[in-house]
Amino acid sequence: MASRLDKMLLAAANLLIPIAILVFATGFFPYKPFMPGLATYEDLSFVEGRFGAGTDIPEPIFDKVVFMVVDALRSDFVFGEGSGFAFVQSLIRSGSALPFTAHATSPTITMPRVKAITTGSIPSFLDVILNFAESDTTSTLAGQDTWLAQLRAKGKEPEKRDDRVGGDGNGNGNGNGNGNGNGNGNGEQRKEGGGGKLVMYGDDTWLKLFPGFFEREDGTSSFFVADFTEVDDNVTRHVPEELLNSDWNGMILHYLGLDHIGHKAGPNSPNMHPKQLEMDSMAQMIYSAIEEEQHLESTLFVLLGDHGMNEGGNHGGSAPGETSPALVFMSPKLQQITNGGFPSPATLTGEFEYYRKVEQSDIAPTLAGLLGFPVPRNNLGVFIPEFLSFWGTVEDKARLLLRNARQILKIVRATFPGQSFPDKVDESVGCDGSLDSGEELACKWQGVVGALKGETETEAVLEKLMDFCRTAQDIMSSTASNYNVFRLVFGSSLAFASLAFTVVVLRSKFLPLTSTGIFYALTLILYTIQIFASSYIEEEHHFWYWTTSAWLFYLFIFDSRKGWFDIPFLHPAVMVMGLHRVARRWNQTGQKYAGADDIAHSELLRNSVVLWSLVGACYLDYAMRLGRAVARSIGPQDPKAEGGERRRLLGLAAVLPLGVTAFLFKLGFTARDAPELVEGVADGLVRWVEHYVSLVGAARMVFVGIGVSVVWVVVAEGRRRRRSSRGAEGAVADRHGLATALFDFLTLFLITQTRTQNIPLYLIFRMQLFFLRLLPLNRTQISLTTLLLTHTSFFSLGNSNAISSIDLSNSYNGVSGYNVLAVGLLVFVSNWAGPIFWSSAGVLLLLDGEKEGGREGEGEGMGQGQRRTEGISEEKKEEGRRTVRRWVEMEREHLAATPPSSSSAESHAFPPFHLDQPNQPSPSSSTPSSFTSANSFFNYITLQTLFTTSSLLAVMMACTVLRTHLFIWTVFSPKFLYAMAWGLAWHFGVVLGLGGGIWLSGR
Amino acid sequence: MSSSTSLTKASKAPKAGTSAVPIDVLHKDTAKLYTHIHPILLLSLYVFQFKSIVADPVPALVNTLIALGVLQIAYVSICLPPTGGSATPAPVARAGGKKKTAPGKLESGIQGKIIPAFLSLLLSTLAGTPVLAITLVLFGAPLTTHHAHTVLCAAHISFLAVLPAIYVYGVEGEKWRQIVAMFLPIDEVFGAMIGTVLGAWLGAVPIPLDWDREWQKWPVTIVTGAYIGYAVGKLLGGTLLKGKKIMFE
Repeated sequence: MASRLDKMLLAAANLLIPIAILVFATGFFPYKPFMPGLATYEDLSFVEGRFGAGTDIPEPIFDKVVFMVVDALRSDFVFGEGSGFAFVQSLIRSGSALPFTAHATSPTITMPRVKAITTGSIPSFLDVILNFAESDTTSTLAGQDTWLAQLRAKGKEPEKRDDRVGGDGNGNGNGNGNGNGNGNGNGEQRKEGGGGKLVMYGDDTWLKLFPGFFEREDGTSSFFVADFTEVDDNVTRHVPEELLNSDWNGMILHYLGLDHIGHKAGPNSPNMHPKQLEMDSMAQMIYSAIEEEQHLESTLFVLLGDHGMNEGGNHGGSAPGETSPALVFMSPKLQQITNGGFPSPATLTGEFEYYRKVEQSDIAPTLAGLLGFPVPRNNLGVFIPEFLSFWGTVEDKARLLLRNARQILKIVRATFPGQSFPDKVDESVGCDGSLDSGEELACKWQGVVGALKGETETEAVLEKLMDFCRTAQDIMSSTASNYNVFRLVFGSSLAFASLAFTVVVLRSKFLPLTSTGIFYALTLILYTIQIFASSYIEEEHHFWYWTTSAWLFYLFIFDSRKGWFDIPFLHPAVMVMGLHRVARRWNQTGQKYAGADDIAHSELLRNSVVLWSLVGACYLDYAMRLGRAVARSIGPQDPKAEGGERRRLLGLAAVLPLGVTAFLFKLGFTARDAPELVEGVADGLVRWVEHYVSLVGAARMVFVGIGVSVVWVVVAEGRRRRRSSRGAEGAVADRHGLATALFDFLTLFLITQTRTQNIPLYLIFRMQLFFLRLLPLNRTQISLTTLLLTHTSFFSLGNSNAISSIDLSNSYNGVSGYNVLAVGLLVFVSNWAGPIFWSSAGVLLLLDGEKEGGREGEGEGMGQGQRRTEGISEEKKEEGRRTVRRWVEMEREHLAATPPSSSSAESHAFPPFHLDQPNQPSPSSSTPSSFTSANSFFNYITLQTLFTTSSLLAVMMACTVLRTHLFIWTVFSPKFLYAMAWGLAWHFGVVLGLGGGIWLSGR
Repeated sequence: MSSSTSLTKASKAPKAGTSAVPIDVLHKDTAKLYTHIHPILLLSLYVFQFKSIVADPVPALVNTLIALGVLQIAYVSICLPPTGGSATPAPVARAGGKKKTAPGKLESGIQGKIIPAFLSLLLSTLAGTPVLAITLVLFGAPLTTHHAHTVLCAAHISFLAVLPAIYVYGVEGEKWRQIVAMFLPIDEVFGAMIGTVLGAWLGAVPIPLDWDREWQKWPVTIVTGAYIGYAVGKLLGGTLLKGKKIMFE
């Protein structure tokens, strides 16, 4: 019995978890303070007239820009052999285009990339979270300085521009609406006097980031990845008309189709080349218009990808393929500076590297220079030097770079407040010895100042300027200086305190040492160690698969000590192992072998008949389970009672609409999300579903159906419990019926939130659960098994510790608009479906254990030993009949496969029910069984908390110690995000909340 | 955590288990000497072959396996008492309580050992290897590819762990249940067996690392782990841990 003190300690340990996470997160992902307001041209008078008056501005080269983003346009799609971009390549050869590979920093997902491209800054990792919670206003760029805002403000008497550092970012900009707001507090005065106009067609991320910025707009959302054409046609249809309009200064197009093809079938999909041809023809249309139309003669055409894709067609991480999108500037004017073009298709200079490599953030200052507006305030990009040749005088070139440098210097000064960056020659700034980042920049800046003030050739000054800008870009993008180390340490300390509390709660359980305890401790220790190795984080699934196999094998050995199973290869533990082996192969995950063969993408499951037979079997299984649950709720629980058959039929009839709707929803969803998976399956049905079933409506019906049924079952159970006299045997025997029913309804919800190819995994999980129930597990063993299987199932469903593996396809089920809470919940459930299944199943196993009473408490081993030797009692046969009825046919087959002759197996399968036998509980434990069982849930929670806190502590320590590690943003930060999800949503929501609910319902 | 009851185990432990005694090396100087040389020879063989195993696993593993088989046969016939026999050459000493009478008892020195040795070789190839190959697959070995690799890996583990065990413990089902259930007292054969299996399991650890080394490929690390585990297990089992029983509950 857990003492009051223990309970309080455990509660404290759990309360510390979210606090630790929050404290650590605020130190680890500092909210980058951006400088609000629009930038103005830097005053260069400090160089004392070397480049004329301080306010002289180089003539802009272009006055309009067409900005065509093709999502996931990897460099080789445009520049490589076999590219579909024949026209763009011909421009590159002719010298009318300047090609680059634009390095995109991780996270390589659209929203942070758009931020980088438009502001020139390196978006913080926090943007990943905001990317999934897009409606968060902090993620809009309305209040930030971007080249879009600059373009809109251009031509409105720059002298009058107020450089006030105003804080009211969003309000004003949003309020002005319809393209008039500038979002920096000065909108009112700028609304007059022409200014730039923007139009936008394509990915609605832009509309979310730039509310009210666009004169005309048409957003498309990437709702169905299977949609290769419509998303793009929605963009294309506006282009010819818009090219005839002369009122805009910037046209932004964002095509999603190519990314969808990648997600669906990878970069080598047969659809890829046709899509490239289509994009190329768009480029040709736009370029021809620039050549032919008078009003477009000074138009810069930029074609780029926001990020690339890996060999699996996904992105988010930092593999070379993901970080290397193409970037092409096109205009007839470029022939002035290219001296006859570049070879194309090009040869690789590195992995996915063609031509020169620039940073994605360089786009913003380059556009600023070419179109003639100030470099955005938070920019860390460097003007691309190839374009400097546009300006004839070296002074103009220097002005451009110097303004770029001055603008970056402002950020540098804000970042290193302790370091002085004087604008005059200062002998005290040393360049000797080992310099830290601030000192190095100060030294470089002194080099610039010295060159400017001295007699240095202007060409040499340009070099110094480039050097300073590049160094600043490097240093500032590695955000090492941004960590709040105090918070990191404090957060880790809180996690440590939480761990310490948990250990104190467990203090009495350490001795005597048990092999299970040792295994648990080893798992914990090994897990925390491997967190410090980046490759093990990327390949974390291997750790869990490896440990789980060993644990199941251990269970086999452990059980062999009790008695010999007739056919060892059919021992339940070995069967679970075999199923585990299938499950781990279901989805290939991780980095190293991403895209390797797996079952989910095998020919077998491509065969839609096989796939849908399995999926159908799964749904049928659950329909029958739910039918039993409902049947149970409408009559006496004794199955032998009058009218049992009739009630079961009634129950089945009651849940059938729910099951059918759920199945039809899955079918309809798949028909749209992955049409290749439904080919050849009852075409007529699929077409009917596509036409007549509204996906949103169907999903809602399923969710509401599940909700109503759960309420019904709970209410019926409550009434029955009140009715049934206390201590009535039937009521006790069937107490777990409610828990089982809740679990089954939950699983139906989980299946709805699972990708079609993964649904058969639930059959495997079910079978594993079935075999686990045959094993006599004590509560510590149950806790460890649950822990291992939650993680194993997480990875076997295809997840990993990379952002790119987050599955968003089921995040809008039943949601028509955007609703952060609903979508967040659905995203979590669809990615953590396996862990949710198993931690609930673990509670069921605990309840089973409780039912067997004697297994709990002090004399666990004793209980098992005695049970094993007991003969087959009448009770047991009765229990057996009941159990058999509980399993559907498939499982019954497996039951038959279990050698009936082995009495040990029998006693596994149908442990005698002896809760009411007073002598059965272990000799040393005299507490009533209900207390013992409360203890067993407490024990389970304690062990789960122990794991959560120690893994959290390990991740925090790894992120703190390795914060200057090369992979901190690509491996450790995503891992911390996942650890947050495990610690908050899973531990609190699922283990404590859901698990507690199921536990209570079964008691 | 669950508390243990060693009481239960003691009373439930099958009688046969309690009577088992650790295997002693034959009381001959050659045996006592060779039992220490043997693991060194094995490891040297493996080190010598390592490069070619990494370069082309299948043929190299076959070659190594043959050499391993020869060495293991030499080891068991020089150092170990065949099943049913005992460490002391004279029939005076305690004869293992419940051991099955082996075919070629101690009638003629060489024959009584060579035949069981070859029988062990045969059985560890025909029975041990498939069982271990299936176990390897259960633990995650590739199922659709690398069949030869997996089978050879299983054969190596089988020759290291199972061959000496068949030689000294025989093929009785109950005995093997005790082996699987780890009821036997630790000796150098049983220790080497546990060491081999644990080593093979631990051998999987470096595979996911991103070091991009050739030797990370299947099944090099597993076999390496098995060899090292064998040597360590044999050493510990023959010395420090000898006679100890694994207790767990």
